[in-house]
Amino acid sequence: MKKYILKRIVYLLVTLLVIMTATFFLMHSLPGTPFDEDKISRLSAEQQRQIYAAYGLDQPVYIQYFKYLANVFRGDFGTSTLYSGQPVAGILAARIVPSALVGIQAVLAGLAVGLILGVVAAYRHNTPLDYLTMVISVLGISVPNFVVAALLQYFFGLKWRLLPVAYWESYASSILPSLALSFGVIAQIARFVRTEMLTVLQQDYILTAKAKGLSPAKILVRHALRNSLLPVITILGAITVNVLTGSLAVESIYGVPGIGSLFVDTIKANDYSTILGLTVFYSAFYVVVILIIDILYCVIDPRIRLAPAKE
Amino acid sequence: MKKRTAAILTLALLFSALTGCNSFTGPSGGGAGQASSGAAKATSVSLYLENEIPTLNQFAASDNIAFNILNNISEGLYRLDMNNEPQPALAKDCKISDDKLTYTFTLRDGLKFSNGDPITSKTFQETWLQQMSADAKNNYAFILTDYIVNGQEYSEKKAAADQVGIETPDDKTLVVKLKAPTPYFLSLTTFVPYYALDMDFYKKQGSGYALGKDNLVYSGPYMISQYDAASGVTLVKNPNYWDRDSVKVDTVSVKIIKEQSTAMNLYKAGQLSRVKLSATDVPAYKDSEEFITHTIFRTNFIQFNTTAEGTKNLNIRRALSLAVDNDTLVSTILNNGSEAANGVVPKAMSSGIEGKTFGSLQGRLMAFDAAKAKEYWQKGVEELGGTVPQLTLVLDDDSENKDVGTYLQSQFKSVLGIDVKLDSKTKEARRELMKTSKYQMGLNAWGADYDDPMTFLQIWTENSNGFRGNFKDTEAADGYAKLIGEAHAERDTAKRADLLVRAEKSLIADNAVVAPLYYMGSAYLVKPGVKNLVEPDSGILELKYTAVE
Amino acid sequence: MQGMELTEDLFVPAEAGAGEREKIARPTRSGFQDAWIRLKRNKGAVVALVLLLALVVLAFLGPSFTRFDYYTTDYGAIFQPPNAVHWFGTDKFGRDEWSRVWYGTRISLLIAVVAAALDLLVGVTYGSVSALLGGMADAVMQRVIEVLIGIPNLIIVILLMMVMPAGIGTLIIAMSISGWANMARLVRAEILKLKNQEFVLAARLLGTPDRRIILRHLIPNTMGVIVINTMFTIPSAIFTEAFLSFIGIGLQEPKASLGVLINSGFQVINSHVFLLFVPAAVIVLIMVCFSILGDGLRDAFDPQMRT
Repeated sequence: MKKYILKRIVYLLVTLLVIMTATFFLMHSLPGTPFDEDKISRLSAEQQRQIYAAYGLDQPVYIQYFKYLANVFRGDFGTSTLYSGQPVAGILAARIVPSALVGIQAVLAGLAVGLILGVVAAYRHNTPLDYLTMVISVLGISVPNFVVAALLQYFFGLKWRLLPVAYWESYASSILPSLALSFGVIAQIARFVRTEMLTVLQQDYILTAKAKGLSPAKILVRHALRNSLLPVITILGAITVNVLTGSLAVESIYGVPGIGSLFVDTIKANDYSTILGLTVFYSAFYVVVILIIDILYCVIDPRIRLAPAKE
Repeated sequence: MKKRTAAILTLALLFSALTGCNSFTGPSGGGAGQASSGAAKATSVSLYLENEIPTLNQFAASDNIAFNILNNISEGLYRLDMNNEPQPALAKDCKISDDKLTYTFTLRDGLKFSNGDPITSKTFQETWLQQMSADAKNNYAFILTDYIVNGQEYSEKKAAADQVGIETPDDKTLVVKLKAPTPYFLSLTTFVPYYALDMDFYKKQGSGYALGKDNLVYSGPYMISQYDAASGVTLVKNPNYWDRDSVKVDTVSVKIIKEQSTAMNLYKAGQLSRVKLSATDVPAYKDSEEFITHTIFRTNFIQFNTTAEGTKNLNIRRALSLAVDNDTLVSTILNNGSEAANGVVPKAMSSGIEGKTFGSLQGRLMAFDAAKAKEYWQKGVEELGGTVPQLTLVLDDDSENKDVGTYLQSQFKSVLGIDVKLDSKTKEARRELMKTSKYQMGLNAWGADYDDPMTFLQIWTENSNGFRGNFKDTEAADGYAKLIGEAHAERDTAKRADLLVRAEKSLIADNAVVAPLYYMGSAYLVKPGVKNLVEPDSGILELKYTAVE
Repeated sequence: MQGMELTEDLFVPAEAGAGEREKIARPTRSGFQDAWIRLKRNKGAVVALVLLLALVVLAFLGPSFTRFDYYTTDYGAIFQPPNAVHWFGTDKFGRDEWSRVWYGTRISLLIAVVAAALDLLVGVTYGSVSALLGGMADAVMQRVIEVLIGIPNLIIVILLMMVMPAGIGTLIIAMSISGWANMARLVRAEILKLKNQEFVLAARLLGTPDRRIILRHLIPNTMGVIVINTMFTIPSAIFTEAFLSFIGIGLQEPKASLGVLINSGFQVINSHVFLLFVPAAVIVLIMVCFSILGDGLRDAFDPQMRT
């Protein structure tokens, strides 16, 4: 296993390098520049050249690329042009924390509720409880999260004054955003658990366990659930990445100073350093999550072997 | 069991770490315009910005969001009062020479930055030189180099610092030499790039300057007590401000709120002093006593590319200009306090003549006229040999622009019977298209840098390019340039104003280079009791006169 | 037959000739025929299917029920609530909301179909091949997915928009780049679990080629996961399109999709809530139908739930 993990870490670094390179060159093909071209057009050609030179943008792209790589190896991710002068690493660090808090809460809450709902729905297949779960799931996935966020804000924040309307003032500020984001998580997890469990519950070993006299709770949790977790874990990876890296709409509505809007804002403003910093961070995070999930596969289901070639 | 407890413990640790290292801002400065009881009545006002603060470095700031804050934590020679007139600020008066080329400012006594460093004439000189040099990243050098002797040469490194027309005979006297008579020079000094910065502090801070509240020093009505670029700032009254007795509010909290519906909820919850209304909210609140509208010196217009297929024909451009009904656009689509444009120069802008606005001298140019529009269109079609190529309008992808675009599309269809395509792009992509002249019509906007029509009218004579529709090298363009040139040199304000009026008519009516649409405006609800929450015509927040009753 | 005595002479040995031993009593049904029959029995799924077809019909014919089209503006009639003339009301430009909603449904359904097709064709194949091959091939294929997801999608979309005309076609291409990745991962996980099971071993021993193993044995057992995930990809695709169109990279005015209508409706939620409610209700309805249908399909295809 250790050898496998080491191998995967090597793959991770290679993948990151590929992503960074591809993004770098694609990014520099984007229309526009980090500057307000409309205002710059009023300056002389020499002054315009000076502006580009100050950011190293007057050199060919591949030279800029190697300079960037060299800096990254030294740990310097550059400074932002959109947030003039601020170091990229600093911006990312400051803005990832609120998103992470909101995200983790959403995932944990969603996982807990989703698992319970899914198990109950599968156990009580084709009963009102099952249909209720299905309705919740459909609503959770088809009502856009910003509508949920706005409704929660209106009722819990404005009308009933139970929780903060917006801003990032205390822990309480993170509750509504997490709640809004968790609905989508609940919907997906509940459905996957239910589906997988429906199959699992038909298996022989479940019948055996029942015959042996195990209580329903023990059967469900100890045997059935564990075998239903495979797709849940897979989807949890994608969900975690999406939710943790910030939901733009929900963060905007609650005024959470998170990372959600950063991607769109910097891409639209051609803030090259920050775009790359975000890409590296986002990709590294995703790849690590995938690695963890692949390892969890083996833990959950001993029948899965990742390493050997086909028989 | 062990595995499970281990997992739970890790999660708990992760959780507390996250919660702990989160920079929660704590409860915001009270509420909207509240006065708390107690011996010293502390007053506070809560405002918001619609986007993150890009920077607080005066030399890097180039948009209004940054200026909104900088305007209140720093100060310059003069400051605009509530009637948009420049009043002495750090300078106590100014003597203007007879030839209008030399301005002698006398600074007040005892001026200090918040760290105790004195504010002297040298402070201004050093700050202005820095702004004019290539080190300033905000491309606002022109606001100084266009006017001050040898400024342009200094910025191109062709002149030394002591050759620039700024002299400091003593600590309290600042002498500025201008290249040409500039009636609006005093209002120029009320603009943030002209404000004084503590250059010693700036140099010592190096790359860390303005990154946090301790990386700044303050000379304005307020200081920063809390700063996070993504959440906002909290401003507190500056005890060292020379006019501190006039500042009536103790705390101003300025947060970042991107969603208008959230701002509305906060306003209703009493946590904001003022909220901007969306177009659809306006009818519901129009009659409330909290309702107020305000336009600023920013004009939105259609820029025609005078060298592109279709729009290179003058009659086609005239037809398109006349087909637009600015009044309907403003009242039905925008309905947010914006005003229908008469020309590119805002009506309320000074004409240069004392006491007279430009709007009093110039009526509506190219007003909506469906019949005439059709006439010109027919003429244009004939001149083009019977067919007009497909016309496309490029625009930014924000909702206001898209609404305007949809309106224009429908208007062109109903008046001229043509199908204009809309091409919405990201701002950078749209700019790229305009820069490389790959467009026929583009929606653009221009904001005033100072209170004089020249800030708008002269841009079509500068390095003429795609952004300005390639209006150059023709008899008409030369004629226009000549008018602007004469206006620059004209000392008589009445004659100058007349030249500018004629120039605008040439640009819009005779040559249809642009089709002005509206002056940007906003509609607000302001909590009763909050007074003098001023946004001068520049659109930059002015908090010095705000009071809470 | 109670109370009857069972004696030996009542029984006669059954004749089982050589051919008879191997005879299969039930007529053979292909997987699909079998599934279709099972689906028909599921009343809920049938209702959902009918509803869905009705929605599709409305999407194409709906606008023709009124004399309005989806793009003509009428500045004298903006923001009207639903009434006799405009059944769903009008939007901020005075355009008929009924026509716009059904026109938008057309586009959203198209997106849904494309997203689902991508998932099924590319995602399932990629994931199952990756899992079956295992080892180095699996490692490389997974890394490719990681790279495709790692490169910011927005950049690719903007670049595409520069080269190709804005519109639904470009959007679809943008979505195809990594929209199927989740499905690939899910299917791979399921197959990793299944491939070491006995029935696969048995099939291999019988000499079944890989392709048949995948199609006949592995995929039917992953049907549950496939169907559920497709059901989640659809709204995700619809809202991704809405987001892109909203930031200007997608449908141009006056075209609209349900997602775009919901976005615009949200802007006026405080004053004209019906503009948000109607398209949202349509999406929810579509999703409910897909969901029930999906469940029915899953039950129908699942070999383990054979009745």
